[in-house]
Parts: sequence; structure tokens; C-alpha cells
Amino acid sequence: MIDFICYMSHVTRVYSDIFELLPSEENPTPLVRIRKLNPAPDFKLYAKLEWYNPFGSVKDRAAWGMLRRLEKKGKVGQGHNLVEATSGNTGLSLAAMAIARGYKLRAIVPGRIPGEKKTLLKIVGADLEVLNDDVCPAPGLGEGSINRAKSHAKASPNEYVMPNQYENEENVQAHLTTTGPEIWKQTEGKITHFFAALGTCGTVTGVGRFLKSKNPAAKVIAVVPSEGHDVPGLRNISQLHVTKLFDSTVVDDILEIDYKLAYTRALELCRQEGLLAGPSSGLIFEGAREVAVHTKNGLGVMIFPDNIFKYLSNMRKHHPELETEGFGFFPTP
Amino acid sequence: MAFNWRTQLQNQVNRDIIGREAFEKLVGSAGIGNDDTVVLYGDNNNWFAAYGFWLFKLYGHQKVHLLNGGRVKWLNEPESPLTKETPNVTPVKYAVAGVYAELRALLPEVLQASARQDRNLVDVRSVDEFTGKIIAPPNLPETAQRAGHIPNAKSIPWSTAVSPDGTFKSPEELNRIYVQEKGVDPAKASIAYCRIGERSSHTWFVLKYLLGIADVKNYDGSWTEYGNLIGAPIDNPSGGSNGAK
Repeated sequence: MIDFICYMSHVTRVYSDIFELLPSEENPTPLVRIRKLNPAPDFKLYAKLEWYNPFGSVKDRAAWGMLRRLEKKGKVGQGHNLVEATSGNTGLSLAAMAIARGYKLRAIVPGRIPGEKKTLLKIVGADLEVLNDDVCPAPGLGEGSINRAKSHAKASPNEYVMPNQYENEENVQAHLTTTGPEIWKQTEGKITHFFAALGTCGTVTGVGRFLKSKNPAAKVIAVVPSEGHDVPGLRNISQLHVTKLFDSTVVDDILEIDYKLAYTRALELCRQEGLLAGPSSGLIFEGAREVAVHTKNGLGVMIFPDNIFKYLSNMRKHHPELETEGFGFFPTP
Repeated sequence: MAFNWRTQLQNQVNRDIIGREAFEKLVGSAGIGNDDTVVLYGDNNNWFAAYGFWLFKLYGHQKVHLLNGGRVKWLNEPESPLTKETPNVTPVKYAVAGVYAELRALLPEVLQASARQDRNLVDVRSVDEFTGKIIAPPNLPETAQRAGHIPNAKSIPWSTAVSPDGTFKSPEELNRIYVQEKGVDPAKASIAYCRIGERSSHTWFVLKYLLGIADVKNYDGSWTEYGNLIGAPIDNPSGGSNGAK
């Protein structure tokens, strides 16, 4: 028998379970400086690589915060499951965390999302409920999938609880207590600009409140995609009504960026910086670039929410040259 | 108490509403008596509930209401509960008091209204359906051979009548939009149509009960009937989507 007792250590990076890897001031996600693509030499730009979270994205923070609160209140456990309207990273985080802790996620997803995402959710143990959301856009309350999740939670309160990332203050708290302090410590309090995109708005509100409490002069900049965008997980101004977590008092500026640039910049980050960043990172980077060019001097931190691996079909759509079919570049024997 | 509009409110063999006897059986077996007050609600801003409302009125039920805002409004009220329990009902004898066929437009009357332009003909579908850019909203199975709209129809999408919280706009606002902006003449008889008759039930309700127009008919045959006719006149301003596309 091998005598090895496992103690959690961020130094040796040995952990007794995956949850010990969740981020904190002592175990922050990395900040990596942008080198070749930085347009203003005196404006240092750092990317916070949120795909280093154990379940692969920035959503680990909100998901963990919401789950921990529900576990403390005894609302989840054997036979008491989660229901959430999510087709993206929150669903992945919630489903993977839930099944490892002995309960499940019922994920309500719109039928139009790519098959890969549905498969990913099933791989991490979610029960899928696919909705046909495309019935003549209705101006009614909220989105079909959110209302469907609410229906389960309301009609079967003993069976389901809905974390509701769009309304749950724990989402904001998670960033107030982890992302914000991490960035403050990592930059030794010298951060001048913080850049994030808007989805549930948990990140921008939580980090924004923390930074403003430390240094009211630090700028919080929200980067949003232009109308008609197809950047997964993000919302532009006209879509913001879905969330109740947006706090405009901590946001200094909202920059609208042509959404196609999200894909172009992501590709450049992959190819020139070695940062395998996804399209939302690309969009945030473009916003930060524009500010860096105008401001010339500062220390900017950008949230890079997740990496490129989930977005291959989106990338092929915007950059047809990435198609692998029909090119004979491989040497024949 | 749940009614499925597709399988219970429509004839499953012929394309038609359920007949008088089937309606009596359906309503009676749900424990609803002739003098009972019926409140209808549903999803999609009450499209299907409005169709049910129209059917109850067509078969002469007096006390019938729509829950303003539908199921979604109820769902988002913090204090309003939901349950999955199946109610226990005692079937009763229900007798249709009278058939009010004047609430329904059939094809010959629609063709006449289009030709004579003597009624408000209101197309409540999306603008893309009206202009012929698409035949039906994406992923919906009921379609037609041709795109476009009935000549001389006005395009007033059903959602025009709805507030952000899913409830109907005020009568004053509806009057401003439908009468002053869109040119619906309240003195004239009106016919509403859509694709399969459910969205048009919603606008039928608006025109008749919220704008107070006396003679309003729902053309439940709608575009899936009209757009499949041989030789019927069609306006298709976009010129697209015709045939088997």
C-alpha cells in the first residue's frame, strides 16, 4: 500500500477533490499580459484566463456561489435537483458540480442551439429539456426557456429549485468575493481599467462594486456586441432586460463593438499570443484595445470568459477559411 | 383543467373546429356547467386561450374570460402558486345554448371582403409572413404553397396589442394604434386572420372586446387555407418564398 495522504495545496497543486480547485484570492485564475497585439505600449493589458477554472469557464464562480447557498439552505441533495435555463457555460458548471455532489441539473435549452452543446450537457450528467422557442417572437415576460424553468420550480418545489443566474444575488457575490479581490491582489491595487462583457451581468456588477470600493477612480467598462450578434452568452443593450443584476452605477462606460470582430480577435489571440481564447474574449479584447489606444497610459484587466474549443462551428461560420474539407495540404505518401 | 387546442378543440379528421356535440362532451366532462364562469389562460400570450375563448363564444357560453397576461404573467407573480395536481371533476350535462356562427369567417366571405374592400381585413402575422419573405415562422410545420397576403389586408401583427408584461395594452392605446395609425375603421365589420387561426383569435378578441367593434369574425382557415388555393388572388410584395422552397 502506498502511504500518501493528500493535503490540499496550491503550491504542489495536489487536491482531495475538484472543488478545492475553485478560485479564490489564494488560488486566482492567471493574469497573462498581452504582448504582440497590444496597440499602446504604455497601456499594459492583462487577460484573466477564466478557462483555468476547474469546469472550464468564468461561470464556475457564479455556479459555485449559487450551489453553495442552496446546499447550506438544504434545498438541494438526493432527489432535490436543480432546474435552470441554460445552454452554455453555466449549465456545464452546474451540471458537473451537481452530479459530483449527488444531485442533478435539468437544463432547459432552446431547440436552435448546436447539437454539440446539448451533447456536452448530457456528458456532464444533465437532463435535457429541449424547447421550440421560435414561435413568432413574443413581447411577453422573459424568455420561453426561463419561464419553463420557473414553471418547474414553482409547480414542483420539492423536486426542483432554480438557481436563476439572472436574478440570484449570489452570482454578484461570487465576483465580489473572488474575481474582484483576485484582480486587486494580482495587480497590487494598480488596476486602472476593468473590461468585461454583459450576460447575466454578475461579473461586471460584482467586480465593479469591489473595485469601486477600493478605488472609485478605477474605470469599469462593459463591452457589448452590436445588434443581431451571435456571440454565445452575451447580451447587448436591447437584450439586457432579461437580467436583474445589472448595476449601472458601477459601470463607467458601455462600448458597443461590431460582433464579427469577436471572432477575428479571438483568432488573432490564438495565433499571435498563444491564448486560445473564445469569441467573447475576442470581443472584450477589442473593447480594451480601443480604450488603450485613446487612453495611452494605464493598467487594464480583461475577463477572458472561456477558451475556443466550444466554438468551432461559430469560428468556421465567420472564418470560412478554417473549413477543413476540400483542401489537399497534407503530403501524400 | 387543461384543454389541448390542437387535439381537443379541433376536429381530428376534417380540418374544422370541434362540432357542437363534441364541444358539449368536452366541456361537460370537464365539469363545466352552462352557468359556470370560465377563465381561460395559456402560453404564447394567450394565443391558444383566445382560440378557446372564441370557441366558447361561438357555442354560446355566456360567462367566459381571458386571464390578462396568460400563464406567463401568472408565473412571474411572486405570490401566485402553480401545481401539477390533476383536479377531481364531476362530469355534468352541458348543452350548447346556441351557435353564433357570425363570429367565424369562412372562405367565400373572405374572398368577398378582399374584393369589395368593405370590411377591415386584418393580417396579424409577422411582417415577414405578410410581405411574403417567409411562408411560416421557422420550425412550424403548418405551411402553405404560396407566400404573401390576401389583397387589401392590413398588416397589424398580433403582438401590437401586447405590453411588455404580456397583458393587453389599454383600450386608449389600442384605439390610437389600430384606428388612428393603422386605419382600422371601427364602423366597419372586421375579419382577422393569421396562419392557422390562433394568433388571429387573439386579435379577434382585441377588435371585438377591447376596441368594441360590433361585427368581428375570426377567419380560422387563415393562410394555411388561403395560401393553398388554386387561383386565389395574392399580394406578395417581396416576391419570395413561393412554391416548394
